[in-house]
Amino acid sequence: MIGIGKRLGQVVAFGLLVVYLVPLAWIIVTSLKSDEQVLGAPNSISFTPTLSVLRDVFGDASSAIWTSTRIATATTLIVLAIGLPAAYAVARIPTPGWRRVVTAAMAVLMVLQMVPQPMSVIPLFSLLARWGLVGTITGVVLADVALLLPFAILLLRPFVMSIPEVLYEAFDVDGANAVQRFRYLVIPMVANGLATVGSIVFILSWGEFIYATTFLTEQSKLPVSGLLARQTNLYSVSWNRMMALAMLTSLPLVVVFVFAQKRLVQGLSAGAVK
Amino acid sequence: MSAASTSPSSASLQPVPSRAGRGRRWSALTQAPWGYLVPAVAVLGALSIYPLIQLVRMALSDVGPTTVVGPWEFTGLTNLKDVWNDRLFRESFRATAYFTVVLLIIDLVIGYIAAAMLSSTSSRAASLTLRVMVFVWALPPLVSGSVWKFLLAGNGLVNEILGLVGIGPVDWLSSPDLALLSVSLVAAWASLPFSILIIHGGMLALPRDVLEAAQLDGAGFLKASRFVILPLMKPTLTVLTVLIILYAFRSFDFVYVMTLGGPGTETTTLPYLAYDTAFKTFEFGTAAAIAVISMLVIVVVSIPYVISVRREAAL
Repeated sequence: MIGIGKRLGQVVAFGLLVVYLVPLAWIIVTSLKSDEQVLGAPNSISFTPTLSVLRDVFGDASSAIWTSTRIATATTLIVLAIGLPAAYAVARIPTPGWRRVVTAAMAVLMVLQMVPQPMSVIPLFSLLARWGLVGTITGVVLADVALLLPFAILLLRPFVMSIPEVLYEAFDVDGANAVQRFRYLVIPMVANGLATVGSIVFILSWGEFIYATTFLTEQSKLPVSGLLARQTNLYSVSWNRMMALAMLTSLPLVVVFVFAQKRLVQGLSAGAVK
Repeated sequence: MSAASTSPSSASLQPVPSRAGRGRRWSALTQAPWGYLVPAVAVLGALSIYPLIQLVRMALSDVGPTTVVGPWEFTGLTNLKDVWNDRLFRESFRATAYFTVVLLIIDLVIGYIAAAMLSSTSSRAASLTLRVMVFVWALPPLVSGSVWKFLLAGNGLVNEILGLVGIGPVDWLSSPDLALLSVSLVAAWASLPFSILIIHGGMLALPRDVLEAAQLDGAGFLKASRFVILPLMKPTLTVLTVLIILYAFRSFDFVYVMTLGGPGTETTTLPYLAYDTAFKTFEFGTAAAIAVISMLVIVVVSIPYVISVRREAAL
């Protein structure tokens, strides 16, 4: 299109493919090595793969998997339950006065999204300590909800805005009240949006480790991402175990990527831009 | 935006007739748009905005290990002054700036070239590459950081490959001269796909006839870029630049996973310094001061971005 040779373009594409594919492959390859194999020849690619380490790590991490599942599920449900009505409120503009409220709300949401997590964790720690929630999953879920809610509202808003005005009018003509309109018009019409945003929130709260490792001080209470974060800080790292935990931490992303890649990418990049 | 969707629909403003007082209040809550905003305002007020206010209060108070829960003694600007004059803070500021510059160079320059090349080949190789890169970008940084920690280790794959051509093991993450560059490069690796996606999208939206005219006039890649493509893409690239700077100021995950701020304090960036000060020595007042100063930088950088996005997408 812009006068760059086709051959050169293919070379660049191939180079990037290698640089991005090799680390991914390394996660999988390393997690299939036994302790002796990874100690003896950490980079060898001719070895007899074994599932024993994966089975070990997944077994040891079973309570962490359960913790991750609870944190991510609770966070997703709360974020969607609060985020969708909020997105609805900032997508519909019945009066000029409300328009100003929406503009202000959007600016606040954008600013909130920019607060770096390692910094918001500082006052949150003191707040949760005062409420007696440090060391509890509830504390982590509350922090995750606060982290992901602005993002979810910004992401759900265009879905609500795409509902044609005639449908609202049809509901009004039929004498539906506001609750019925929200329940029977808005929710079904944004089902796709809820699925997209819900899976992104699930993936992000599954991979979140800053709140998890800061608030959950006991090793036994950590979710999968927390175990991986602790593992990277150990003096003698066992690479195969670390890569097995890395696989476990990326699992929800892999599943969603396989089934709904296009929507996931659109959602994630919209979230990063807005 | 069509006129129909923005014009007030008078029917939707009529309150629903209600039977009793409680019913009327409930219907006011569900009928008017602000009713739907109440839960979000409550949650964000308590868990995002209130903590931000607390952070500023902390920065202006003496908050140590024993006083995290309060009460805090007000000390004015003492923490902020101390932090500003602190050698480690200055070094972290410099490390963050270095990190940002590496990210900007790689994400913008390589991102631009790669996006141009990917859009000049519609081959399956290009689309496969994009797909893999986007997957990597969506990976938790915790995961990509840990695999690079392995790849860059003393006996890791990178050194093994370099060994094949006789370059002897490099201490990527433990040498004071290299560690910050290595961590920055990994962060750039993880954010490059996003940058390519955005630039690629911007290029696809360029007017075809203008590009063809440039081609007919005999402009090569460099000339076309300099006189046609880059000027047309300036808004996209400006937003992208701000986003990369913001991303760099959040640079915590890769540092935490790969180096813990070391060796020494070589890779201690501002967010890492704030976190470390708060949760290793429990000097919350000092940590809050570091966070507040960093966030002032973020606010200044993001003003043009917030304005441009608001103008484009808010209404």
